[in-house]
Amino acid sequence: MEEQSDQARFAEVFLPHLVDAFRLARWLAGARTDAEDIVQEAAMRAFKAIRGFTGGNARAWVLTIVRNTSYSWLAKNRPQALVLTGDLDEQAQRQMQESAESGEVHTPETALIAKAEAESVKNAVAGLPTPFREVLVLREIHDLDYRAIAEVVQIPIGTVMSRLARARRMVFAALQESTA
Amino acid sequence: MTIWRQDELLLNAYLDGELDAIEAVQFETRLATEPALAAGIEARRSLKAALRTGLDEDVPSPALRRRILAQLSLHRPRGTQSWQSLAASFLLGTIFAGALSLAVMQNEAGDQIADAVVSNHIRALMAPQPTDIPSSDHHTVKPWFNGKVAFAPVVPELGPEGFSLVGARLDVVALKPVATIVYSYGKHLISLTQMPSESAVAQPVTRKVERGYLMLWWSEGGIEYWAVSDAAHEELERFVGLFQAAASHP
Repeated sequence: MEEQSDQARFAEVFLPHLVDAFRLARWLAGARTDAEDIVQEAAMRAFKAIRGFTGGNARAWVLTIVRNTSYSWLAKNRPQALVLTGDLDEQAQRQMQESAESGEVHTPETALIAKAEAESVKNAVAGLPTPFREVLVLREIHDLDYRAIAEVVQIPIGTVMSRLARARRMVFAALQESTA
Repeated sequence: MTIWRQDELLLNAYLDGELDAIEAVQFETRLATEPALAAGIEARRSLKAALRTGLDEDVPSPALRRRILAQLSLHRPRGTQSWQSLAASFLLGTIFAGALSLAVMQNEAGDQIADAVVSNHIRALMAPQPTDIPSSDHHTVKPWFNGKVAFAPVVPELGPEGFSLVGARLDVVALKPVATIVYSYGKHLISLTQMPSESAVAQPVTRKVERGYLMLWWSEGGIEYWAVSDAAHEELERFVGLFQAAASHP
């Protein structure tokens, strides 16, 4: 009866996070239909790997699978939309260096974002390079803490912090540009 | 506005609830006296609020859960196909799609077949490819079924009429393997499932609508045929007419 417990376990671990899974896939892939295809594929992967889930943060586990599935799905079906892994590494490295430096950063006027329409904020986030978009979405949409984000994205917490800071700054900069 | 990089990280961590109590109190003291920091907090809060606007509507279609459950109940690990796994799939189905399963149980045999044929068709549309053997050559497709099903399926070439042979796949209906031939018409796929009929008496073409898909079924020579597609009704009817004509004069 092992299979029954696999399916029951899948229902317990994966299904409660279906909406979260969809939202992450949608932010990473863009289109709703693509996001649903990704979540469906992720569900199958999660089902096959369900015995590997030994407890802990089910949401982070599900989101990790959805994230990884998103990138492999995009690489296969929408290769032009995906930031290359090489770029990602380079960006990540640059981020690490940047966070180690001390110095001043420019952050835009308070009023800026208050004036901006929610839609333009979302567009600005959609325009971020994936390494920054994913941490921001996991934080703002999924409300994950830094430790959980580090787990999902498989990066050190320091990198989560610097990417998140940079992501927010990039959104402000994009909004400034569009309203200028 | 310009702030120190270290302060930017601190500000983010404060906003995200990642500071411990003592750090948070210290930061709040600074917030009261440094407008640049307070402004930074306010801007980031607005960012979050803007991003979460309309979040409640950002949900998947109800069909997604059904698709996942359907896929799961169709999933059988190789070599472990067993009564238990079938029972487990059924159990999962009844738990999470109770109404659906009950409705199926209460249906008549024909409806069960219709349901299975539509499910197979939908699953094929979702799969990376809709066939187990992609081929436009009926000389390839027909022998592929040897030893897989207990009858010789009819695989006419209807390409000149606009219905191109895409290939074939083995489906399961009522726990028995059945032959499904796949044709394309423009962007539409047509699944034509063939299985031994319960009765030897021929049945005329009958319409059926299952989950929004039009199906046409008939039986002839002890074989039951089920055609399903999202193509226009008249096109599916034309397809069936051509198929029947070609099948009777192979």
